[in-house]
Amino acid sequence: MKRADAAILADSRSEDRIPSALEDRVRRWLRPLGALLALLCALYAWAVIAAPIDSTQGVIQKILYVHPPLAYGGYLGFVVTGLAGILYLWRGREDLDRLAISGAEVGLVFSTLMLITGPIWARGTWGVWWSWDARLTVTLLLWFVYLAYLLLRSFGGQNPRTARFAAIYGVLGVALIPLNYYVIEAFGSRSMHPENLQSGSLGTGMGWPFLLGNLTLGLAFVYLLLLRWDVEAGRAMEALDDAAAMGDDN
Amino acid sequence: MRVALAILIKDLISEWRSRDRVVAMLLFSILMAVVFHFALPDQRPEAMRDLFPGLLWTAYLFASLLGLNRSFALELENDALSGLALAPGNRGWIFLGKASANFVLISTVQLLTASVFALLYDVDLIPVVPALAAVVMLGTAGISCVGTLLAAMAVRTRFREILLPLLLLPALFPILSGAVSGSQAAFAGETLPFEVIQLLIVADGVYLVIGFLGFDYVLDE
Repeated sequence: MKRADAAILADSRSEDRIPSALEDRVRRWLRPLGALLALLCALYAWAVIAAPIDSTQGVIQKILYVHPPLAYGGYLGFVVTGLAGILYLWRGREDLDRLAISGAEVGLVFSTLMLITGPIWARGTWGVWWSWDARLTVTLLLWFVYLAYLLLRSFGGQNPRTARFAAIYGVLGVALIPLNYYVIEAFGSRSMHPENLQSGSLGTGMGWPFLLGNLTLGLAFVYLLLLRWDVEAGRAMEALDDAAAMGDDN
Repeated sequence: MRVALAILIKDLISEWRSRDRVVAMLLFSILMAVVFHFALPDQRPEAMRDLFPGLLWTAYLFASLLGLNRSFALELENDALSGLALAPGNRGWIFLGKASANFVLISTVQLLTASVFALLYDVDLIPVVPALAAVVMLGTAGISCVGTLLAAMAVRTRFREILLPLLLLPALFPILSGAVSGSQAAFAGETLPFEVIQLLIVADGVYLVIGFLGFDYVLDE
């Protein structure tokens, strides 16, 4: 290594390194989190199987233990992407841009699963796969925003410009959530989707599996987010190594 | 502020000299009217009038996409975009200039489109002009703001013409639903619902702020 390079490296802030100090810390947490998640998954699966079968809806009611936590994950992913995007624009820290990608991808997985489990339940309970209900419409739009975000990323290529574009689009996407909810409030569309759970609305023996579902899928969200972040840091490192190798050849 | 005005005038003059975009957008809108005729055959005139606001906004939306897609195409030639980025002052004003030019352009096309649609579908426009114009202006302000921001991004990616609608359409839902229900109220002869005006103004404000602040990072090289 040339002397100038070493000086540059020594000068650079810890967050400009790949992986950054934050990403180093994330990597150390992955293993224990994964172990805990595996344990919770087993418990969760058992709890869902053992939970009593709903007297009116039948076995399809068990989607309740999966569907709402997926929805939380879907929204949370976008909030992570939006916040990481703002911080990236503000501070120029590339590790936060990598976090933004992870938030969008994990959020897309969660909201896709939510959009699959929802209609299955709706078909069994409402008799239709889809209704243009407030929540359904808003989450479908959110899903399209996620897809557009990732398309923007892939069409733009790997460069700081694309990262900035994506960050702005992520912020726009987060701003759209309250706007869309306002639209639905103002124009009062039909509402078939159950309200958020209130305490005591679950039958006996259903509270525990539900709580466990929230806990497990919440942890799964965090774990997948951090894992994806680590993968993205690894990719950035590889790209840096390739660039360095190219430089040596010349 | 002066930057915004200069860019607005520059864009309008260059559009006036070529008239490419206006003609293309207008032709496209008229074609949409014909497409609707074939897509909705055997409609009674009354039923067609109920559908009219929705059809009109569909035409507006896609014609706007067409125009927005070209709004930065000219700036790519000779690297004019980098020249713009060098303009002194806050780059938010560049955004504002571009967005107002798009607003004027889209509004012109909308005015002509509405007249053609009214002729073809036998709808009396004259009594609803004030209310409809208010809704259309508010809706178009939102489309121009968010459309200008996203067009500036999309134009510098691969598949630029394809990417813009995919980025823009999910972002326009609040504007579209507000504008359509506002237009419906206008055609029904009712006073405009307060919620519609509020929604359109709030959405316009949000898009304006994000565009004004975000454009700094879009042009940044």
